[in-house]
Amino acid sequence: MQFIESIGATALNFIRAIGKIVIFIFLFFRFIFKPRFYLRHNLKYFIEIFISSIPIIALTGIFSGMVLALQSYTGFSRFSAESAIPNIVVLTLTRELGPVLTGLMISARVGSAIAAEIATMRVTEQIDALKTLNTNYFNYLVTPRVLSLTLAMPIFVTIVDFIGVTGGYLVSVYRLGFNENMYLINTIDFISFSDYLSGVIKATVFGFIISIISCYNGLYSKKGAFGVGSATTNAVVISSILILIFNYFLTEIFF
Amino acid sequence: MEIKIEKLSKKFGDNHVLKNINILIEKNKSTIILGKSGCGKSVLLKIIYQLIRNDKGLIFYDKKKFVDIDKFGMLFQYGALFDSLTVAENIAFIDFVDGKKNYKNKVINSLKEVGLTADVYDKHPSEISGGMKKRVALARAIYKNPKVIFLDEPTTGLDPINSDMINELIIRIIKKKKMTAVTITHDIQSALKTGDNYFFLNNGVVEDFGKCNLMLKSKNKLMNEFLMGVKKLQNS
Repeated sequence: MQFIESIGATALNFIRAIGKIVIFIFLFFRFIFKPRFYLRHNLKYFIEIFISSIPIIALTGIFSGMVLALQSYTGFSRFSAESAIPNIVVLTLTRELGPVLTGLMISARVGSAIAAEIATMRVTEQIDALKTLNTNYFNYLVTPRVLSLTLAMPIFVTIVDFIGVTGGYLVSVYRLGFNENMYLINTIDFISFSDYLSGVIKATVFGFIISIISCYNGLYSKKGAFGVGSATTNAVVISSILILIFNYFLTEIFF
Repeated sequence: MEIKIEKLSKKFGDNHVLKNINILIEKNKSTIILGKSGCGKSVLLKIIYQLIRNDKGLIFYDKKKFVDIDKFGMLFQYGALFDSLTVAENIAFIDFVDGKKNYKNKVINSLKEVGLTADVYDKHPSEISGGMKKRVALARAIYKNPKVIFLDEPTTGLDPINSDMINELIIRIIKKKKMTAVTITHDIQSALKTGDNYFFLNNGVVEDFGKCNLMLKSKNKLMNEFLMGVKKLQNS
């Protein structure tokens, strides 16, 4: 009996959490059109996110591209299809690895920071202080973070795509002995705008997911150090799982 | 501003935090709300400030049901300063978020009022002491010249010397700016020093009230137990 009760309680909690997140998303869209907008604060936050994330996504891009070239060579050389490596590297990066790896890295780098910062603000009554100063705390805390990350992700993915392809090129040309002109021609001729666009759309959705989940966990964290810790963990874990789930459905759409 | 609270109740789930509260906060006077931890003091303060809604009862601000919260200022228990902003941006927050830049003189005057110099202007909260943080938080609370100032445990976490300084500062500012003050505190010395009237809350009910200078002569049993408890703690 107790076992069934605990299953029921878990299911109810899950449904309740989904309901709260849906309301949270609704609030975001409601407040985004409602003054005050804190434009300067939005711009500042966008620049902060952008600058702090560039090193991590650059490293993600270059090493993914390099590994992808090496692994593809291992497989394709077995049936003399090495010439497909440029195509595979650019296609895998733009359509799949670029947005997913960037999403996961940004979730760990920016999502955790957002959740920890907002949860700490909640614990130390800073959010109450915002209310007492007649500040729309949702527009001050949530809107800049969601907008910044949602708008920054397509740029991040473009950077990862470019750096990743460069990494693949470097390994293929200088390690595997490919002709540099042929590699570039095969890469540029094979990629289409729709491949790039599908990756960019995925990244935009992932940016929205990471920022909404992180802000939600921060804003509704429990009190104390434990609350801050679990808000941060939940933000990263839930965002990462949702990225993988949404990635499948978005891939189905662009298939 | 006079604040009149009538039959106010609030519960969270099954927990009745405030039950049928009636309080009159007199204009330009300092009202102290006393009580043990968890008796509903902070909830009451937040309801008066309109940060949370009451379930039952009415609050009249100068005989009106609605009030612009720009007329209020609040000093939080631990300051609640924004870590990512400088002292100046914290104090002038309402101007800072609006993108105004001509707040320097006003901030320096506010710093002077709370006994600080312009040296801390560009510092972050993490770079100043606990006592200074409290003063900066007080400067932020009075920056917009509120009609009512709410003080949540103003002396918590401070040593006796700093506590005394904060109390003196509060008395001076309230008198100078002719503000109504509502203070939550456990600190009897602070209550006696800064308060005109007091209300003693126990389990969400007003058990005792009166003039602060007569507080120690209260005949209410629970109030006396509270005073004795605080005294014992201070002696130990």
